[in-house]
Amino acid sequence: MKIKWNTITTEELAGLIGSRLEKHGIEGILVGGSCVTIYSKNKYVSEDLDYVTYASVKEIKPVLSKIGFEQKSSRHFEHPECPYFIEFLAPPVSIGEESPIKRFNKIKTAKGIIKLLTPTDCVKDRLAAYFHWNDPQSLEQAILVAKSRRINLKEIKRWSEKEKAGSKYRIFKNRL
Amino acid sequence: MLEFLFGNPTVEKVLFYVNVYGEAYAKQMSDSFGIRINGIQQQLKRLEEGGILVSQLKGKTRLYEFNPRYAFLKELKNLLDRAINALPEKEIERYYRNRTRPRRKGKPL
Repeated sequence: MKIKWNTITTEELAGLIGSRLEKHGIEGILVGGSCVTIYSKNKYVSEDLDYVTYASVKEIKPVLSKIGFEQKSSRHFEHPECPYFIEFLAPPVSIGEESPIKRFNKIKTAKGIIKLLTPTDCVKDRLAAYFHWNDPQSLEQAILVAKSRRINLKEIKRWSEKEKAGSKYRIFKNRL
Repeated sequence: MLEFLFGNPTVEKVLFYVNVYGEAYAKQMSDSFGIRINGIQQQLKRLEEGGILVSQLKGKTRLYEFNPRYAFLKELKNLLDRAINALPEKEIERYYRNRTRPRRKGKPL
């Protein structure tokens, strides 16, 4: 399979990485900004793909090296022709005080299956950064996903109140 | 106290410090504890890679704080609170009661 590394999309790369990991019995959950990219159909483009995995870097390294990704620091990988970074984060998947997250979404692509946060959890993940750091970009990303996908607003409201961020939730809600 | 659990005494001090002050930078901790800055930076790097701390540059200083996404943050903070409370009063006074409120520039000490 010939891969055009310089034009590959986040979704294609995530599908490719997901299939390679799965082939070697490694579960990797895509989290962070690249979920926003996928759910917003590239209205926001993240340059890194963050995976949460229980596998060690020692196990991941040979899988990624087969497709040309080299380990650049203890947990991150780069490809000489690909514009995206891949990083592996310590488990479990958690959002705010709620953990572990065990229900994920699966998206089928031509290059493989992506296992990632659900749209609702993706919105929560972005809002968590907005709540904690007042990060305006995270708020915009949460709004992008909320406008692009069906999400459970009631659940996001419940979670926001638990995170003691009811007023910031209302700012988010009013922008939808 | 928790150094055997965490693996070494420096990481215990780093976690205590961040727990008490909310955020911290390497030089501040190095000066406070009299530990080589490299040792502190090594532990900060390890804790950041493990998803326990996050950092961001403010001006020229890299500030570290707990990662609000860390799954066991509440439990870790409870453990650290208990351990800090169990420290000798002299040690708490020396390291964990530094002034954090603002001081106007130029105001004599």
